[in-house]
Amino acid sequence: MSAASKAITVAVPAGAPEYCEVVDWLYREARLLDQGEFDSWLALMALEIIYTMPTRSAVNPKDGRGFDHDFGLFAENHASLSARVARLKTDQAWAEQPRSRTRHFVSNVIVERESNDDLKVTAAFMLSRLRSNRPLDIFTGERQDTLRRDGKLLKLVRRLILLDQTVLESHNLSIFF
Amino acid sequence: MSTDTAAFSGPTRLQDNTDLLELVNESMAHVSRRVYVDPELYQIEQERLFRRAWLFLAHETELPNKGDYVTRNLAGESVVLVRGDDGVVRGFLNSCRHRGMKLCRADNGTIPFFRCSYHGWTYSRTGALRAVFAKDLYQDSNLRKEELGLIPITRLDSYKGLIFGSWSSEVPPLPDYLGKMRFYLDLFLGRTDGGTEIVGTPQIWNIEANWKFPTDNFTGDNFHLYSTHGSVVELGLVPPDPMSLSYGHLIRAEGGHVLHVVPGAPDPAYEFFGLPKQLVPQLERNLNPAQLGLAKKYAFSVGTVFPNLSFLQVMIQGDASSPPTPFLSFRFWEPTGPTSTRIWSYLFIDKEASPEYRKASYETYVRTFGPSGIFEQDDLENWEECSRVNKGQIAQRYGLHHGMGLHLQPDPDFPGPGDAWPGSYGERTQLAFYGEWQRWLTQAKPWVRP
Repeated sequence: MSAASKAITVAVPAGAPEYCEVVDWLYREARLLDQGEFDSWLALMALEIIYTMPTRSAVNPKDGRGFDHDFGLFAENHASLSARVARLKTDQAWAEQPRSRTRHFVSNVIVERESNDDLKVTAAFMLSRLRSNRPLDIFTGERQDTLRRDGKLLKLVRRLILLDQTVLESHNLSIFF
Repeated sequence: MSTDTAAFSGPTRLQDNTDLLELVNESMAHVSRRVYVDPELYQIEQERLFRRAWLFLAHETELPNKGDYVTRNLAGESVVLVRGDDGVVRGFLNSCRHRGMKLCRADNGTIPFFRCSYHGWTYSRTGALRAVFAKDLYQDSNLRKEELGLIPITRLDSYKGLIFGSWSSEVPPLPDYLGKMRFYLDLFLGRTDGGTEIVGTPQIWNIEANWKFPTDNFTGDNFHLYSTHGSVVELGLVPPDPMSLSYGHLIRAEGGHVLHVVPGAPDPAYEFFGLPKQLVPQLERNLNPAQLGLAKKYAFSVGTVFPNLSFLQVMIQGDASSPPTPFLSFRFWEPTGPTSTRIWSYLFIDKEASPEYRKASYETYVRTFGPSGIFEQDDLENWEECSRVNKGQIAQRYGLHHGMGLHLQPDPDFPGPGDAWPGSYGERTQLAFYGEWQRWLTQAKPWVRP
């Protein structure tokens, strides 16, 4: 057990004002991504953001859940997320020309307050993408977020994206999760 | 009983009477669009190329301990590799001899022995049938255990950590098959004392493109950079000079194995592929003088071990605030259909590298290449759209052009084996790849050189 996972957390129950604030944040974040408002989305990221997606193997239960936290499909910080957003604003980001049409669905939200007042948020997600001649891409999984208060705003400081797919059925990940 | 593929005896024409020799014409710089989409050609390719050639299966460090296994496909057949008590990696059809059930159903794991989940037949890690359920209900003559072991992969061998398999008993031994390419592979796999290991588990994804599109790109196509990757040029992550990757050599190492080598900026940081300087003494003792000279000179190299294992040694920035950092990725482009491919992308690291370098190399890789990479996202878009459009019957009336740099003569002073053409923008290496592909589809022993 790591020190972080031993930290005392307090459940923030569904319906509590802080819970509603977090869910509202998640929905608004999803809307920014689906509407292609990437600068506004980036503004929700704390400067110290760590945004990762591990690779995954299909393993037997005794071997755990199969996530490989040494390697992955995203290993981002603020600079690299900024580069991704800047790239989308060029006229030559062909993977997003024409733009993917995405829909971020977020549910099963559980909020816990950590001892330093950070909010630990786990949620299930389903992300659909349509583009050009491809069949519908569906990504499902779990997000483990940490939100930190920055003045009146909540900023994302950590996002761990745990995909259900071990083999991606999509040619690329030119989108955000 | 043998797993040998049938001796080559197939027709050299497609059902519509097209001669396979018309599909690729090296001297005319012509490649037919059908090579990327045709279902009949795909079946011929599976039989004559993929069920004969040496194909990549795994890196030895994916199964470091006794009993470790990984499941893979070898030319479309489910196989399992397992490390035995003697430390030897063996490979078998991943199929019980009783009903054919898939024996190991996870991607990887550790087993004391194989046990079929269907009726419980068990096999040792060397593949011998050890026990069957209710053995007393068999007559000995009806259960010859010695004849019912797991079916071994016909040929299994490794080179500097890379495990290859083949279903052919005729194909030359792996070192001969790799031939002159070994000289170049050693620049990446044999340069440091401990060799390479893989970082984590590979990225795996399915694309709707023929395997030859990514392979074509990794035979040394440098000149797509300034159009395909125009977005990262705009971001300033690569030099603005559109000829920046043209100042190297294109190399045909024979046997369809090809690569390019390209110098970086005139800065010592780009020598030795940009590897951390504390590793350079290891290069000096592990490489021969010709190899060391090449390693010192070059920062980038992309190439392909025929038919479908590619590599990428580059030094780039993952974002505007990170310094150029090298990484080494190996790619296995596994054909799964005429226009579908499963990509396996591995990050390799020199075992002797520091934790800081590993982290930087990983972050640079994942931000630039792989399915989310700001370079490769756009490559993947290209390979799928090429495959879709080339399915058209009208489109197929018109061949594809591969004519850049064909007037150039090989550089007699290049210090490595094979033919090396000066200038690393050109289509010599692509044509060499397609020419070799055609040899395997039309010749009984394509490995026998004139």
